[in-house]
Amino acid sequence: MIFQGRCISSGKATGEVIKLEEPLSFLGGVEGSTGDLKVRDGNVAGKILVFPKGKGSTVGSYVMYDLMVHGKEPKAVINEAAETIVATGAVISSIPMIDQIPSVRIFEDGDIVTVDATAGTVEIKDLVYKEVVSSVVSRDAKCILEKRKATSRSFPGLWSLVAGKIEEGETPVEAARREILEETSVKVGEPLGSMDPLYVREGNVLFKVYPFHFDAGDQEVSLNDENERYVWASLDDAKKLETLTDTILVMSTFL
Amino acid sequence: MDLTREEEAILNGEQGEGRQKAMELVTALGKIYGADSLIDITSAHLSGASYKTIGDGGLKYLEDLVGGGATVSVPSTLNPVGMDRNRWKEMHISEHFAKKQNRIIDLYGQMGIKTTCTCTPYVGPNVPSMGDHVAWSESSALSFVNSYIGARTNREGGPGALAAAILGKTANYGLHLDEKRKPTVVIDANIDGSVFSYSLLGQAVGMAIGSGVPYFRNIHPEVEEAKALCAAMAASGSIALYHVEGVTPEAGNFDVSDLEVIHIGKKELDNAYDKLNMVDDVQLISIGCPHLTEKEMHQIAAFLKGKEKRNKDIEIWFCTSAEIRERCAEDVKIMEKFGPVLADTCMVVAPIEGTFERTGSNSAKAGNYLPTLCSQKAMCRDIAALMELVL
Repeated sequence: MIFQGRCISSGKATGEVIKLEEPLSFLGGVEGSTGDLKVRDGNVAGKILVFPKGKGSTVGSYVMYDLMVHGKEPKAVINEAAETIVATGAVISSIPMIDQIPSVRIFEDGDIVTVDATAGTVEIKDLVYKEVVSSVVSRDAKCILEKRKATSRSFPGLWSLVAGKIEEGETPVEAARREILEETSVKVGEPLGSMDPLYVREGNVLFKVYPFHFDAGDQEVSLNDENERYVWASLDDAKKLETLTDTILVMSTFL
Repeated sequence: MDLTREEEAILNGEQGEGRQKAMELVTALGKIYGADSLIDITSAHLSGASYKTIGDGGLKYLEDLVGGGATVSVPSTLNPVGMDRNRWKEMHISEHFAKKQNRIIDLYGQMGIKTTCTCTPYVGPNVPSMGDHVAWSESSALSFVNSYIGARTNREGGPGALAAAILGKTANYGLHLDEKRKPTVVIDANIDGSVFSYSLLGQAVGMAIGSGVPYFRNIHPEVEEAKALCAAMAASGSIALYHVEGVTPEAGNFDVSDLEVIHIGKKELDNAYDKLNMVDDVQLISIGCPHLTEKEMHQIAAFLKGKEKRNKDIEIWFCTSAEIRERCAEDVKIMEKFGPVLADTCMVVAPIEGTFERTGSNSAKAGNYLPTLCSQKAMCRDIAALMELVL
């Protein structure tokens, strides 16, 4: 699977991903002479370093140079949004770098990726890509949460919004309406809201998730056999359950 | 970004590796900030000069640049370094540090940069004109030339400004554009007009708005007051440009009638003061952040004349440029009875953390950075109040 980003510092590299979920300050975050990370276990030397963006002291650029001098630099850097410190460090240290990838969430530690920074692309090897919808189907300030079966192929046993795969030829909204009807027998109209897609990884599968919000009206809910059971949950109720990634984020956006 | 044929050639390495790397950096930064093209600059001022801040990584970077034959193509000056070049022993600096620091100064010199190591080059060796495009780092100095002189620069980082100096060009975005120089908020200020009140005003405004382009009413800063205001707002916030009604050169260009008005008075200044004062006693008093001007040197000497330093436990440093120290020889004689008048350096970029734990200054900028960059508990008072501690 190839993703298109933007070239910040040219070059090409293939290697194994090490990923940080939070913005990184190279000063204080990485040991310049060894490549050891101080913000989590691991070492950046020879890796493809993925993190959302840089932060902190401008001296961070020189820490990246120090890594290069010691042969401990990452093979490439991938950011969601480049800023001055990391971009400067990458360019002066000749480390290939791209930004404007959809999300750091498309990567997991250990992924083998090829960065063609000059072209602005990154290819993740052996990645299965699926587009799905996930809907808040609400009544008053509550929405339907379904408990996935223990035998479910993806995210077994977790509580989920009304979700499913987008079939070929379907728009995301059409898929959302169909899934809601199939799984809950509720017939919904136009969405009350939508969000930018979210990315969720499970093993080698990457889900691109289109969130929607629909009104259930006073229709009765009747589950098909895909899920074990359902509840009408408020945001506070949902926080007490073991929910699928981003369920709380999507509910708090729409409810 | 639209590059000229010559710029493309530099990017392709046709003028050597040093200029190629510089062009890669300037264009990468331009891309991030949406620049459409490069523009010629008339001067540069570079931060990243203290061994304490740039470390061995920065030193090696400079070694490699010089090794690659890089030289600057516009007049360029350097920020303060980690020590007075001649009097570093009085600052409790180690031989090791001094050696590395001298090497850094030497490398900047080899690239053609004037190594007058000061954060106020605009009062001496590097004075832009109204409308000049320049590439300056050092947050207080670049705010001064933007605001008080009407030259145009973004908040450049050290390596970015150096790359721009090598090329004589920087990326055209941000404060180089008319559109981005418009005021974003009106500050109705009620202060007593002392230099220290400008420091607190800047601190309060930085705390209130964080970023943006403030437009001040009811203040009349001269160079020293503007210097304090710039430094404080760039440290407590990230403000790189402001206008002052009736004072700064671009202030008359804008209609501010629709802007939000923020009042800054006693309450806000008191809050700013509290934020900057963590302790009541200090081991070091350091004055000259940004570097003392000639006028300030005269004022301090006049204040200290005939007085005696009774408290020997507190050290005092006065920080200025070598040129001003030389010009103020009579003042220096008086001031030296209280502590060394240091050139090329200041307490923020010197490695004071090994020697001192509590430091006082009259600078809101120092008050912001002493805790974070120097592990100090900080005090911030006006010069007379600081001197009370030793008289």
